[in-house]
Amino acid sequence: MKKIMVGNHAVSWGVMLARAEVISAYPITPQTTIVEELSVLCADGRLNAKFIPVESEHSAMACCIGAAATGVRTFTATSSQGLALMHEMLHWASGARLPIVMANVSRALGSPFNIWGEQSDSLAQRDTGWLQIYCESNQEVLDTVIQAFKIAESVYLPVMLVLDAFILSHTAEPVDIPAQEEIDAFLPPYRPQWRLDPKDPRTFGCVATPEYFMEFRYKMHQAMLASKEVCRQVDEEFGRLLHRQYGLIEPYYCDDAEVILVTAGSVTSTARVAIEEMRKEGHKVGLLKLRLFRPFPKEEIKEVVKNAEKLAVLDRNLSAGVGGVFAQEMRAALANWRNHPLIYSYIAGLGGRDITLPAIKEVFHRTSELAQPPAESLWVGLRGKGVVHD
Amino acid sequence: MIEEKELMYSGHLACAGCGATLAMRYALKALGENTILILPACCWSIIGGAFPYAAVKVPMIHTAFETGASTASGVKAGLEIRGDTETTVAAWVGDGGTFDIGIQALSGAAERNDDIIYFCYDNEAYMNTGIQRSSATPWGTWTTTTPVNHPKGQPKKNIMEIMAAHRIPYAATCSVAFPEDMIAKIRKAKTMRGTKFIHIFSPCPTGWRAPSSLAIKIARLAVHTKVFPLYEVEYGVKYNINLDPKNLPVDEYLRLQGRFAHLTDDEVHTIQETVDREWARLIKKALD
Amino acid sequence: MSQQIIFKNLEDMPYMSISLGSMEWNKTGTWRYLRPRFENKISPCIEGCPVGQDIERAMVLLGKSKYLEAWELFKEENPLVGVCGRVCFHPCESACNRGEFDEPVSINALERFMADTATKQGWRVKKRVEEGEAKKKVAVVGSGPSGLTCAYHLARLGYEVTIYEALPVLGGMLRVGIPEYRLPKKVLEDEIDQILELGVKVEMNCRLGGDLSWKDLQKYEAIYLAMGNQKSKKLDIPGEDLPGVMGGLDFLRDISLGKKISMGKRVAIIGGGNTAIDAARSALRLGAKPIILYRRTQEEMPAWASEVKEAEEEGVEISYLVSPVRIWGENGKVNRLECVKNRLGPPDEDGRRRPMEIKGSNFSIEVDQVIRAIGEEAELQGLPKNLGVKEGLILIDERGGTKLKKVFAGGDITAQPRTVAHAIGAGKRAAIFIDCFLKNKKWEGLIDDLRLGEKGSLSMRRYRQEEKDREPVSNKTVRLRDLNLDYFTFQKRSKMPKLKVQQRIGSFAEVNLGFTQDTAISEALRCFNCGVCNLCDNCYIFCPDVAIRKDVQTGQNIIDYDYCKGCGICVAECPRHALVMEEEGR
Repeated sequence: MKKIMVGNHAVSWGVMLARAEVISAYPITPQTTIVEELSVLCADGRLNAKFIPVESEHSAMACCIGAAATGVRTFTATSSQGLALMHEMLHWASGARLPIVMANVSRALGSPFNIWGEQSDSLAQRDTGWLQIYCESNQEVLDTVIQAFKIAESVYLPVMLVLDAFILSHTAEPVDIPAQEEIDAFLPPYRPQWRLDPKDPRTFGCVATPEYFMEFRYKMHQAMLASKEVCRQVDEEFGRLLHRQYGLIEPYYCDDAEVILVTAGSVTSTARVAIEEMRKEGHKVGLLKLRLFRPFPKEEIKEVVKNAEKLAVLDRNLSAGVGGVFAQEMRAALANWRNHPLIYSYIAGLGGRDITLPAIKEVFHRTSELAQPPAESLWVGLRGKGVVHD
Repeated sequence: MIEEKELMYSGHLACAGCGATLAMRYALKALGENTILILPACCWSIIGGAFPYAAVKVPMIHTAFETGASTASGVKAGLEIRGDTETTVAAWVGDGGTFDIGIQALSGAAERNDDIIYFCYDNEAYMNTGIQRSSATPWGTWTTTTPVNHPKGQPKKNIMEIMAAHRIPYAATCSVAFPEDMIAKIRKAKTMRGTKFIHIFSPCPTGWRAPSSLAIKIARLAVHTKVFPLYEVEYGVKYNINLDPKNLPVDEYLRLQGRFAHLTDDEVHTIQETVDREWARLIKKALD
Repeated sequence: MSQQIIFKNLEDMPYMSISLGSMEWNKTGTWRYLRPRFENKISPCIEGCPVGQDIERAMVLLGKSKYLEAWELFKEENPLVGVCGRVCFHPCESACNRGEFDEPVSINALERFMADTATKQGWRVKKRVEEGEAKKKVAVVGSGPSGLTCAYHLARLGYEVTIYEALPVLGGMLRVGIPEYRLPKKVLEDEIDQILELGVKVEMNCRLGGDLSWKDLQKYEAIYLAMGNQKSKKLDIPGEDLPGVMGGLDFLRDISLGKKISMGKRVAIIGGGNTAIDAARSALRLGAKPIILYRRTQEEMPAWASEVKEAEEEGVEISYLVSPVRIWGENGKVNRLECVKNRLGPPDEDGRRRPMEIKGSNFSIEVDQVIRAIGEEAELQGLPKNLGVKEGLILIDERGGTKLKKVFAGGDITAQPRTVAHAIGAGKRAAIFIDCFLKNKKWEGLIDDLRLGEKGSLSMRRYRQEEKDREPVSNKTVRLRDLNLDYFTFQKRSKMPKLKVQQRIGSFAEVNLGFTQDTAISEALRCFNCGVCNLCDNCYIFCPDVAIRKDVQTGQNIIDYDYCKGCGICVAECPRHALVMEEEGR
């Protein structure tokens, strides 16, 4: 069934189809309509879930942890300040190996206050042990929510899916909504190995001394690495059943590209248009959409960019003092490969500033012009500094 | 009658004479096996032992410091959606995790009237991290962050009044020196739906600088000097005092503890006046 | 018991931190530098009992309605439970720690309750040794409480005992010195019968120095002398030999033997002890108007306060600070007693203030009978010179042994407090050491082993090694300051119901009526059980380490030293000081 749906509602409907059992969330712009729609779905009886209207995001994640430990499917959603407030508990959830799914509507972090889209908030949580998947469209959002539960429950790690503030969250697109039976066939009920159960009393999350802590972290890390394969399989299975599939990354015109643009999130669709137009002009340009960010799909990326000369990484985020995070991750992933492409880093669209078609094209041109990547990231569209400043 | 079955193992890591272990021992006797405990950072995080061991015979989950009530709310929701409305969900939290860092989560859960029993075992400071002051530390007390020449200048936060203001179905004070009273109240709380708050006076010989053998005597004197009266509050308005104290002077309670050794006679007098005043207020509420 | 879990490989570990076992492998007993220990001690009532009774244990049994066990327990030490339950001066109650707290336990009344219950139920004391064994022979001279007790214990230890009694009735002072309204004959006779049922022989009307000679006694392998003090002291004033003047003991004896008494109308009784009170109250019941004249004040009166109170209720007059100086007669009969008033001067050797005559304060009262009750003394005829006598009393050592190896003595003829309980205690002691003597057992150090508390009397149960379940026992006596009073609440002592005064003065019916079952149980439960574990379970309840557990078979609490951290809460919270704390021996 196709509906015109804003991104936030796509999340809600995905959660409903996935039969989430406990939802705990705190309102923050621009996540609010996710939970509002979920309240309606619960009230209608279309979703049989317990909704806990907590008093902060930190408590929201704590509630999810508590609920997940009893062996039920849990979900929350948040954004920027709320995500940051949850930070401690994000670590807790992954360390506790709980398959919580969270939608983060990526928004700038204050100060100063800014409610519009960028990806610094989710990227600031990249060390928390959560899987991260960046979505390009509302359809992808709905599909990824469902995939996320399956992935999480297979590897016992929490999964965060990221959708851009307002551009996806509040923008309506046509979304094909699968039937409940199709999703039930795809996503079985959650049956964990261990859950809080008076019939088998155990202590969960016992203090781990230096004698044991490293092994737990090793196991978590290995699980995260192994989850890449799980993500692929789940995505392929989803594709077989529902005829839509997204891959861990998506190359677009990369085979003979000299310069490949690397993007994540909604800007990818603008970039696709830029690629097509530039190709028509004869430029050998390509696009690499980063979908799975954690675990970082090093091998897949290498395969895609192996023949390119240059990568232009478009970061809609900032790690102050070092530049764009995706660029940093790309450099780290490719550093040991002797002849890897040169990596050019661009910071664009912070705080919800539009990333325009001309800007993207200018990024390509600048990348082609510069023989070597500058030491620091180049900023796109700063006031009085041209499209890409020097 | 005190249930004979033990749900707490020997071999735990508590200090000799620990009031918190007695509190847990009695609480578990009252709660029974069909209980899940939520344990944020507090002395009990260590008392229960490290991986791969447990010190209690009920399921227990460690959680972050400020999340006692919120995690408990989550556990309860998870059980209910599975169809289990019988298993008791209990948060087991220290005074730091209740009065200070965890008060937001507690207030949230209480406002939602989530069906949990929230236990606060109160040793009147951050004992697990080394006897630092909390808002549960009484006026005039020595702690490592309120040294003797600058003891705590603020009175103890009245957590029971805070919980009463939330109008939760049940709040009660308990003392480990009165196990039958404590067990009866916990059993009563178990029969009720909604948020129940149990405030347990839990002496810490280590942090209170008292001989370990006096832990129970101190807990008893606290009640009989009216420093820590035993009472219940239903729906925030109906007060019931459970035990008529012997009205002993507070000095009998204070002088057993090194953390009060620096107090002058005037300061003891001030404490006596405060205790008497608070008691008079409590009586008035009970008579209403 | 959970073992320690060791993981050699990371693959063996679970994917998340979860418990796989319990902490029980962790024997926290190694933390300890002080350790608690259960140790029973001596209750002050036990130490204070001249008979040497395990009063505390009896209180426990009574509290549980185990009347037979309580009675049998007491009978192990004393054949005269019913007697003592009526006439003992109950130093146990003076020693009772509860006395400092609120009021002492009514131990005396409870002892009586035990005996009365036994009578009602028809219980008889059990033999300890069967017939048919060749037994050594022992003689006991005197059938008062001391002689009877010695004979009883010796019979139960396996001896053939013969009691020689000067009077035609058994019981000594119990029979002829204490009026029936205090000690009914039936009660005494029943308990004496139970002694005789053990095979004890009796020769009555045999006075030593009269029908019985010292030589007659030599055929016995051991002898116990317990003739008591049967003679009332003289006043040593003019007129004492007039008819109508008699000794208090003679007066009481005549009444109890059923002799005809010519009672005067107005009787003066000189003295302030129980004999004086007994004589006065008996005279009252025989229709006279008695007046007691005592040379000091009521505070110094040796008679029990309860007896004095009952006498006053019944209408007995008591005049204090008065001494007789001369008895006047007319026509060969007493008609006047001249007295003088006293004031109290400095204290005597016994600590009481000396009465001093106020010169010129003489006055007279009209009396037609005078009874002397100023003290008793022994009649020591028939004893060999080398026995060892001083100031009218037979000399004995700590065993009750005299200078003659096979001769022992006890009771009022020796230098000991003049009470029924002390007499009984002496009889028991003599039986123990006669047994040692006849079996050639070493007795040095035995007294300390048998003594209940540092100052108490000897325990027959210990002598028979029947106190095993109480071990370990220390000989320390527990005082009020050793107790944790937080666990005790005030509760008034039960009152002994009495006959109304109108009913009392008309007859010799027993004045005290005894406790009901409910009163007895509730009074027994007032006992603090000083120094002895009564399974209140405080230690078990308050242990933070669950290191005190119940022994499944015995129900006793045991300390699990594998886990005990030595915090000491159990010791502090034991209401009765039945635990001690000691340094951990390393």
